Amino acid sequence: METLSLYVDRDSPVHRVDPISKLLYILAATAIPIILPSLLTAAVVLAISVALLLLGRIFRRVIPLISVIVFVLLTILIIQGLFRAGNVTPLFQLGSLIFYREGLLYAVRISLRVINIMLAFAILILTTKPSDLFETLVRKGLSPRIGYVLSSVLQIIPQMQNTVGTITDAQRSRGMETEGSLAVRLRAFIPLIGPVVMSSLTQTRERSIALEVRGFSAKGKKSFLNEEIQEPYHRFIRWGLLLSIILALVWRVAA
Amino acid sequence: MKREGMWSLKLSTAALVLIPVAIGINYIGKFFAELLRLPLWLDSIGTALASMLAGPIVGALSGAINNIIYGLTVSPISFVYAITSVAIGLTVGIMAYKGWISNLWKAIVMGLVVGLVAAVVSTPINIGFWGGQTGNVWGDALYAFLLAHNYPVWLASFLDEIVVDIPDKVATIVVAFAIFKGLPKGLISLFGGGKKIEKL
Amino acid sequence: MKKIIVDNLKYRYPSAQELALKGISLEIEKGQFIGVIGPNGAGKSTLCQALVGLVPHFYHGAYGGSVVVDGLEVLKSEISALALKVGLVFQNPFTQVTGAKLTVYDEVAFGLENMGLDRAEMIERIDRALTLLDIYRYKDRNPFDLSGGQMQRLAIASIIAMKPQIIVLDEPTSQLDPQGSEEVFKAVDKLKSEGMTLVMVEHKIEKIAEYADKVALLSGGELVDFDRPIRVFSRPDLERYGVAAPVYTRICRDLKIKDEKTGLYPITLEGAVAAVGSLE
Repeated sequence: METLSLYVDRDSPVHRVDPISKLLYILAATAIPIILPSLLTAAVVLAISVALLLLGRIFRRVIPLISVIVFVLLTILIIQGLFRAGNVTPLFQLGSLIFYREGLLYAVRISLRVINIMLAFAILILTTKPSDLFETLVRKGLSPRIGYVLSSVLQIIPQMQNTVGTITDAQRSRGMETEGSLAVRLRAFIPLIGPVVMSSLTQTRERSIALEVRGFSAKGKKSFLNEEIQEPYHRFIRWGLLLSIILALVWRVAA
Repeated sequence: MKREGMWSLKLSTAALVLIPVAIGINYIGKFFAELLRLPLWLDSIGTALASMLAGPIVGALSGAINNIIYGLTVSPISFVYAITSVAIGLTVGIMAYKGWISNLWKAIVMGLVVGLVAAVVSTPINIGFWGGQTGNVWGDALYAFLLAHNYPVWLASFLDEIVVDIPDKVATIVVAFAIFKGLPKGLISLFGGGKKIEKL
Repeated sequence: MKKIIVDNLKYRYPSAQELALKGISLEIEKGQFIGVIGPNGAGKSTLCQALVGLVPHFYHGAYGGSVVVDGLEVLKSEISALALKVGLVFQNPFTQVTGAKLTVYDEVAFGLENMGLDRAEMIERIDRALTLLDIYRYKDRNPFDLSGGQMQRLAIASIIAMKPQIIVLDEPTSQLDPQGSEEVFKAVDKLKSEGMTLVMVEHKIEKIAEYADKVALLSGGELVDFDRPIRVFSRPDLERYGVAAPVYTRICRDLKIKDEKTGLYPITLEGAVAAVGSLE
């Protein structure tokens, strides 16, 4: 049974860090380059993220994640380099197209920011089991009912996706056209999605009942089967990250 | 039967169980749109349906959690656009509560409004995050064209977004409307909250 | 000791015109096994849900009369409080899996976490429940990877871990294959021998004849009969209520072979064999 997850099961120092610290890292990696907007800050944060990815032995797994947006970043580079308002200093020329310094610099800044955010998220996503992340959030005060919703999405979606294959085959065998003109293809959409939706919605009543009779709506504090893993250095990391953000703010204000 | 206002924060178990299903419907809509090579995303049908069935709060939650889960499991960019999904859920929820799903024409108008809201909410995100583009080929081509002709960034970005959002959201709402109208009454009453027990 | 007291229970679903239950009264003693039979639409599922509080607290609608379960009045209690007294298992094994847990072991823990139990207590209860339902060896499997029969036993285990003294089973085998059904009936047998009070809706009438202390015959929202199985199954009008008597009863009826002591038709294989044997 597949669950939705990009988690890479390894043992590494990064894997062993708690999810809240990784969330705080995302906050720091996003906020600090905004508070101190210089290419240097962005580059330093980038380097730290790359180092963490290497430490977590998941660097190679990031490539497919990043490649999706690399194409968009290239188009940004081209479009901003050519057309951004305020482009006055030409840098180089391709045929009749002039690329300007200001636009390219702007695009580079954007790219660094985007990649920084992506890498920071990747550190969380690739080294944390979603179930651990959600359980930690519930321990810290997230409503357990919302925690349930988050956890169940990861398995309910593959279940629904499994039924799609069966229904599509059944509809096709009933002579439904899925190839051809746009109009034909548009018309096929509702008969394809309809049955899946119907069966999934009917199941929600039964699943709601099953949850209710297992005390889902009980008031009072819930407990956890799993033991909480608390390492002393986790707190050190969390406070360190918060401190770094505060320091950045102070630097910005002072400078 | 007394019905609590649409802003009730008391989420029934049925409404909560609806959310993963709504997200699943979002995924499956996107899948079929790709399978049929339609020039639309169609990835918010579930969110819209959840809003129609259970109100704006549930719709907004469906949208937010959709982007959180997609962000955790496919592409972190989705996290950034969670606000747009929330806006869609809220808009559909409010308008559906006020009766904009009583017939197809009203639903189409609702689709236009949702497309507009999505564009308005997404544009500042697009500009702040990556300079105004959307990642959509046709939209970005329009953006490049407008930028080259010295239109202001916010306008170029807004038109980039709306050219994609209006057709997509109108189609999304129409499909969600069609499904909603086809649902048995018992299912619809299951999700509407705040009912009282009558005495016999 | 009266475990369940149903007094003139009336109920109408929210979007319905007719009453689903039209004034049902019955009493169930501790340790009894009650079979519930009747045609489709008779109100059997509604009655089951009324015993655990889903009717009326989940569906709302219109409610009259009272149901008292182990001292708790259903109308005045929360479903989660009633869940500690009475559990419910229903047809679809798949929808009884929460979907939020990755292993069978964690799945059983779900209800116990909601109850706020401490870890040691949880582990003890989960181990016991999984062993009783003979699914301990699957404890690390994903719940969705189980067969129908295994999944249904998981549903039962999840419920009994919460230690209710009463369990309601609403057609627990109707979506299972023969092997799965057998597994579930074996489990039900074990629950019975543990002294639990059981209420089971079943179409497999031979099983009702085998287990039940009393049978409730429902039709059109009314309680037509509530008596020992041998009396209910001997009713000449049983077929009129959409119920076929156990095959042994039908054979004995057609052959006009009665049980010596009761003067009624036998309902189990043993009873039929004994009755035929005593013809000599």
